[in-house]
Amino acid sequence: MDILSSGLLQRALLEVVVLGATCGALGVWLLHLRHTYAAESLAHAMLPGLVIAALVGAPLLLGAAGGVLAAAALIALAARDTRVGPEIAVGVTVTTAFGLGAMLALTPDVPARLGELLFGDLLGTTTADLVAACGLGAVVGLALWAGHRPLAAAVFDPLAAPSLGVRPGRVELALLVLLALAVVAAVQGLGNLLVLALIVAPAAGALRLGRTIGMQIALAAALGALSGLLGLVASAELDLAAGASVALAAIVLWMLAALLGPRPPSPAGGTPRSLAETLSASGG
Amino acid sequence: MRTIFDKLAIVRWLTDPLAIGFMQRALLATLLLAVAAGLLGAWIVLRRLAFFAHAAGTATFPGLVVAAPWGVAPPLAALGAGLGFAGLLSRMTRRGATSADAATGLLLTAALALGTILASDVYGSGGGVDRLLFGTLLGLSDGDIALAAAAALAALLATAALGRTWLLTGFDPASAPALGVRAARGDRALLALLALTVVAVLPAVGALLVSTLLVVPAATARLLTASIGGLLGGAVALAAAEGTGGLLLAYHLDLPPGPAIAVIGGGLFALVALGGGALRVAR
Amino acid sequence: MSAPAASPAAVEVQGLSASYGPAAVALRDVTFSATGGQAVAVLGPNGGGKTTLFRALLGELPTASGSATVHGTIAYVPQTERSRLDFPVSALDVALMGAYARTSWYRRIAARDRSLARVALERVGLAERAGTRFGALSGGQRQRVLIARALVQDAGVLLLDEPFAGVDRTSEEAIMGILDELRAEGRVLLIATHDVEQARGWDRVLCLAGRQIAYGAPAETLTNAVLEGTYGEEIVMLDCGHRAVAIQHHSHSHNH
Repeated sequence: MDILSSGLLQRALLEVVVLGATCGALGVWLLHLRHTYAAESLAHAMLPGLVIAALVGAPLLLGAAGGVLAAAALIALAARDTRVGPEIAVGVTVTTAFGLGAMLALTPDVPARLGELLFGDLLGTTTADLVAACGLGAVVGLALWAGHRPLAAAVFDPLAAPSLGVRPGRVELALLVLLALAVVAAVQGLGNLLVLALIVAPAAGALRLGRTIGMQIALAAALGALSGLLGLVASAELDLAAGASVALAAIVLWMLAALLGPRPPSPAGGTPRSLAETLSASGG
Repeated sequence: MRTIFDKLAIVRWLTDPLAIGFMQRALLATLLLAVAAGLLGAWIVLRRLAFFAHAAGTATFPGLVVAAPWGVAPPLAALGAGLGFAGLLSRMTRRGATSADAATGLLLTAALALGTILASDVYGSGGGVDRLLFGTLLGLSDGDIALAAAAALAALLATAALGRTWLLTGFDPASAPALGVRAARGDRALLALLALTVVAVLPAVGALLVSTLLVVPAATARLLTASIGGLLGGAVALAAAEGTGGLLLAYHLDLPPGPAIAVIGGGLFALVALGGGALRVAR
Repeated sequence: MSAPAASPAAVEVQGLSASYGPAAVALRDVTFSATGGQAVAVLGPNGGGKTTLFRALLGELPTASGSATVHGTIAYVPQTERSRLDFPVSALDVALMGAYARTSWYRRIAARDRSLARVALERVGLAERAGTRFGALSGGQRQRVLIARALVQDAGVLLLDEPFAGVDRTSEEAIMGILDELRAEGRVLLIATHDVEQARGWDRVLCLAGRQIAYGAPAETLTNAVLEGTYGEEIVMLDCGHRAVAIQHHSHSHNH
């Protein structure tokens, strides 16, 4: 197949398969701990870091790391708000940070190629990018493998966890650090608006298909890698933006899994809800 | 007297742009949108619809991209995309299949991915995408202003008629039937108003930053007041102030309005949040 | 507050079964009737059907068989945890909600209703807290405000969901006083409670555990056998079987 002939595509493929697998596995834990909103917020709010790096000519990785750190600190601060509620405070923070990033990118005479920062530059992956992405991906993967039991305890029985020698607070913090690493790794290829697809979609599908946590992680990794492959092939064959194609592939796979997968047990005491109640449950 | 004021740079910074035709239109649109977005924003904050409002705004992006090539009025295309998003969201979260947070985040990402593919690969919209994502000062048509006026009117009428319903449904939904309040009907109306307002603010602030008018001003107002009336009025006032300030900043820095309003709004929120415990007005 | 009009308030339930979906039958075969002036204690473990019964009486449950008829208007006094405590509403605002049903959407709330709300707050002993934000009140005070709201509704039948849960002494006494007054006015009170001993003081008790275990006057109905049938192992007998205490599990309701 053509896709293997070009060095460009080879690098992109390798990066996206490795990241797909790692982000997929990570996503399973994030979904179980209900940290999707945090993932989305972090990814959006890191934009200023990316833009500043692009403007001063620093490596994107550095900008991503700085952006994520700053975003995480601000979001943590905002999440403590008791007057408007954490969801809204974080939303305001993310909107502002994102707006600031856009402002920085659009003002100067030499625009910082905002499109690539937002939607990624997967086909522009250099060997250095690949090494960084795979390195970070490996760190995340290793950490997940080593931390499997504390994670399981923190998710499934947070009250009993301390007696098992696990502190749920610390485990969640560690997970969020891994999230930050994954976002930094994936942002070059997918851009900060689309990374969420690779982190959440394979896991969301796997949660519908797998009955045990082990199965879910394996499935999510597989789905993530598959999304990368399918997306890149579609992009090459149909001449479409690569990062966006990978994101869409991941999301389409999720939708198929969610619509065709086994029906989950209905929630206990299912109260009929208005649409707004269901909607307001998001982030609530 | 007049000449002294004329020479003050800050005054000129504020008044010069407003002498220009397109800026006057932009200001009119902003003030009308401030009414619509401020009022609705109060309800968004109370009913915890902030993430959904942001997602609905972002979801209109593919619609906006295809509007010109397909010859459809942008508000209609945006509405269509938004309805598609809402429908898919409802379907994907049915029976708890996927959590609302995850589904919302994924569908809005899908909208972005789809939009960018349509823009760069299918229709070659390329540079025009910035305008769709972040808003514009220049391109506001009569239709956009009319839509803003309609949204403002709708928000005023709906708040007068349904404010009590929305308040009770948010505060104590379990008691709504016993108190003669039709929660489901009220919520449908709220969502419809949300759709209308989101579509109305799109030309000014863009698909990615609807929160700057729909959420941030109301959130800041919430920090300042403990009454519903104060929240509604405060949200409108702040939206007007932030919108106007952002407009002027955007003009002087040659930016789209969305990011400018975001920075001003966020700065004000931070100021109030960090400094403002003492400013809180109890009822 | 005036006593309810001509036809006396009453609740008649006949063979009621209710479920949340085809597979989840929450309540089976409930039959009882209560007339004006009676207070019925509804006992049972969490998940045993107390809230389900209330929902059925409010007409909220779509799938139900048998019949549940309520003569007169009905008011629901929920637990205060169900309300959003961060909402910018004062005690008076909440009491005024009782008038929503009779206020057309295009009208402001009538002056008469506003004074009714103030009188109701006075009746529950919170007149001077009318302007305080609801969430800033103590648990017991919030419960009293919700009762004031029911007073404004002027309903013949009141459903109270564990009104004494986590409530301080002053509020408990105030609430007991109000409930006695409401009984005297000829209203029907259904009070979901975990307090078996308190239930002995009401007119009737209804024991639910997924189905109706017993209904009748407390003296005859609250036997050890009935209590064990209702609570299973969650009942603790004290004082040589003369006193019974139901173990309460602090359930985290997922009905948000």
